[in-house]
Amino acid sequence: MKTMALLVVPACLLVLALLVGPMILMFRISLNQFSPTQLMVQAFTPDNYIKAATDPYYQQIIVSTLGIALFCTLLTLVLAFPAAYWLGRIESRWKSLAVIATLFPLLVGNVVRSAGWMALFSRGGLINVTLLKLGIISEPLEIMYTPKAVIIGIIAVVLPYMILTIASVIESIPRDLEDAAANLGASGLRVFWRVILPLSAPGVAAGSILVFVLCMNTYATAVLLGGPKFKMMAPAVYDQFVRGNNWPMGATLAFMLLAVTMAFTVFGSVAFARRYRTA
Amino acid sequence: MISRRHFLSATAGAAALASALPARAETGQIVVGTWGGDYGQLLSDIIDKPILIPKGYEIVQDIANNDPRKTKLLAERQSRRGSMDVALLSDSDMYIVAQSGTFDPIDPKQMTRLDKVFPELKSDIAIPHIYSAQVILYNTNQVKTPPQSFADLWDPKWRGRVGLADILYPNNTLAAALAGGGGPSNLDPAEKKLMEWRSLDVKIYPSNEALAAALKSEEVWLTTMWLARGFMWKKAGIPLAHVVPKEGAPAIVFQGSVPKNARNKPGAFAYLDAMLDAKAQVAFADKMGYVPTVSDAVLPEDLAAQVSLNETERARLVKPDYAYAAGRSQRTMDFWNKDFKG
Repeated sequence: MKTMALLVVPACLLVLALLVGPMILMFRISLNQFSPTQLMVQAFTPDNYIKAATDPYYQQIIVSTLGIALFCTLLTLVLAFPAAYWLGRIESRWKSLAVIATLFPLLVGNVVRSAGWMALFSRGGLINVTLLKLGIISEPLEIMYTPKAVIIGIIAVVLPYMILTIASVIESIPRDLEDAAANLGASGLRVFWRVILPLSAPGVAAGSILVFVLCMNTYATAVLLGGPKFKMMAPAVYDQFVRGNNWPMGATLAFMLLAVTMAFTVFGSVAFARRYRTA
Repeated sequence: MISRRHFLSATAGAAALASALPARAETGQIVVGTWGGDYGQLLSDIIDKPILIPKGYEIVQDIANNDPRKTKLLAERQSRRGSMDVALLSDSDMYIVAQSGTFDPIDPKQMTRLDKVFPELKSDIAIPHIYSAQVILYNTNQVKTPPQSFADLWDPKWRGRVGLADILYPNNTLAAALAGGGGPSNLDPAEKKLMEWRSLDVKIYPSNEALAAALKSEEVWLTTMWLARGFMWKKAGIPLAHVVPKEGAPAIVFQGSVPKNARNKPGAFAYLDAMLDAKAQVAFADKMGYVPTVSDAVLPEDLAAQVSLNETERARLVKPDYAYAAGRSQRTMDFWNKDFKG
């Protein structure tokens, strides 16, 4: 048992050095003050946190980021579950190919993927040109630089994570249980609701948490497809650090993003565990 | 316990490793923090290859946009050895970074061409590489009576037809200030004018390239932009012409400087000197539309007509107030993000 515990030491040390260390440094920076000429003045003040928490602009960004992340997570779950069920249940020799096909979008970076969406969504893009030529629309649709474009872009990124996480759990649910429920007269919907969903809950919870965290931290998709007016936290953090040279405020916003993401993740995990423990 | 034998073999190994590693300064490597694309390619084609490589220098480009380079310089400023020997930035960014003591003063003893630099472009901490002016660009197919001033861009007849690049928010703010009777040392009027612009459905694009695409597709017809960029877009086939606004054309100078923690300072100053080479400056004007900063770089007449300002227009060049702009930078960005873009 002692040897087993030692196995986690390298990973823990790596996390401590590469994650916890920089986070402590960034937390210290968040307590400093910004000066337009000296850029950062050593201080120990909660001013940045108070300013960010009370500024309606940042409140709006947090609400918008949460809204987008929750909506994308829910929609991804709805879209992913049928595909995950199929992937978890197929036993043919094509299964490996199906898994590779699911993973395939992850081989393309977010920026390249967004560039592809831009070619489709822009006013002179494939979608508008096709619809105009077919006479379905008379004016190009505004898709680029709208929340619609960001939501589509984000879901395309996170869908494989949700599918693979749920599929791995569904694989482990004995098919006999479905047959037994059907044999006892349960409809397909009832089998799903009372057997499949509760038993796949760990996969749904893990997939949803993973996807929610990815959505909360979306940067490239939000910037490239959402345009300059679209508000999410990660671009706001970048703006403060890089465009404004205001590292204390950038660090503060990064910690607020981390806190909100962690709070929702913990709350979601606990609520989910309670719901399905009693089910 | 480390034995004497172990200690000796370890130190011998370290010495062998150190001798195997390249000594950057001795081999004449110069790391240049620059923009990529056409700019980086031109540096390579007309400065690195013909001037510096024959002298034995090896040039490495550290390619990034203004903001990441600025952040890198600030983050590294306490380090003993920086990652760049030469840093290229716009004048306003150079001023901000220089405030934290990041750069060495320009050393005239290590340069041969400083005396050719136009006096009004000289600075203690940077050399002026190229410059341009912020003008009004308009689509010649759609705009038959072009605006003559920044203020004309607020005419309701241009509703929804003016486009702006988000990344140029300080310059767009200055144009709004000039339109409202302010200037580089008084940006207060910009806030009212920006909100008026917003109500006139001004369009904002994330990058200069996205704005160029919108001008090309005629989604928007007018913008404020560097004359040099307009020249490049015209060369790319976008039907554009420019007007030097009545209120004046804010100048932008792209500069080069040597960080205090540069590893190869003699090489860095040699690089800055080569950037002032007359032939190289003319080539930059020809390819990118930026105007030379040295008196012996004479442009062909037809090129000068497209990229330079005439005497009357040059008199209307607006020089930035760097200290004022830097002191107000957070307010400018906050207003742009929170109020104007909403």
